[in-house]
Amino acid sequence: MGSILILNGSPRAPRSNSKRYAALFSENCKARTAYFNISSKNHVELCSKLEEFSDLLLVFPLYADGIPVTLLNFLKTLEQNPPANKPNVSVLVNCGFLESRQNDVAVRMIGLFCRQNGYRFGSVLKIGSGEAILDTPFRLLVLWKIKKLAASIQSAKYCTLQTTMPLSKKMFLKASTAYWTNFGKRNGITKEQMETMQIEK
Amino acid sequence: MKLILSDRPLNVKIKSDAIPCVDLSSLKIANCMGCFGCWVKTPGKCVIRDDAVKIYPLIAKSDAVLYVSRIRYGGYDTPMKTMLERAIPVQQAFIRLFHGETHHIQRAVTPKKATILVYNQVSDEEKEVFQSLVARNAHNMCFASYRVVFTTEAQLENVVANEVKKWEAS
Repeated sequence: MGSILILNGSPRAPRSNSKRYAALFSENCKARTAYFNISSKNHVELCSKLEEFSDLLLVFPLYADGIPVTLLNFLKTLEQNPPANKPNVSVLVNCGFLESRQNDVAVRMIGLFCRQNGYRFGSVLKIGSGEAILDTPFRLLVLWKIKKLAASIQSAKYCTLQTTMPLSKKMFLKASTAYWTNFGKRNGITKEQMETMQIEK
Repeated sequence: MKLILSDRPLNVKIKSDAIPCVDLSSLKIANCMGCFGCWVKTPGKCVIRDDAVKIYPLIAKSDAVLYVSRIRYGGYDTPMKTMLERAIPVQQAFIRLFHGETHHIQRAVTPKKATILVYNQVSDEEKEVFQSLVARNAHNMCFASYRVVFTTEAQLENVVANEVKKWEAS
């Protein structure tokens, strides 16, 4: 059985949903795993750690329709500091939108990096409604897919998976409005204030 | 208004004062922290008070934009991507249906014609990924229409000059 290095490419890695997804992955993976947040200062150190692992799992949120700058900058360093034994690269990406397919471009970017730099591309799990799903009963759907993701990487039988809240778009809009309204309320901001059309005023 | 955002200095003559040309490489712009402050604490304003806060209001106001960026792994390279990530105060946290998909509601953002000019030697696959990215950007960045132009670093300033001429003639 191989070993898996999990790297969190979220800009708010220490308190991110990606960290929670990565923890679920580790708990449900039989292979040896190690977890690190990508920071602006540890790129070279992480590149050297890759030597010890058969697989790399990149966990990150969708940012402005693509991979976050935090991860982009790490990949640029990795391109300059490749390990002698290149691990297979898998992806666990989440977005706040209902449609998990909105993650597709970010996945294709990682695939492109792999082809340009000689890494085998592995499995993918695309999560929609990823901002809130872990705090709903639909968490079980995520858990089920994370178990499948872990099994596919352990066995090197790579596959593409996706999940999201099984809600109609109308229900999702209602639920997400309530979620964000409560988020604002906890900061003393009303829904009306959050709905301002003004920018920098 | 029209706006040029570039990830490098451009030696291109622009006659009109109404076309600001911003060299992102000369500005101090930190990475987005993903704190959601611009949605739930200070709506419409980023909590990081660096040069980005001068740029996203310009993006919002513009009815035509020209983005100039190196392409990297089928996406924008670091300077442009950093700025685009920092531009999320122009959106609300709340979600709407747009073209049958869920997307964030825009604040006072003018629908714009976008020209995305990317440079570097790239494969057909990389071009295709970038086209898909800009198609997604169109939904989330209020592009009424868009055009992607691929060029080389050597040809870049000529291509920018041609695009500016078209704007000045229109």
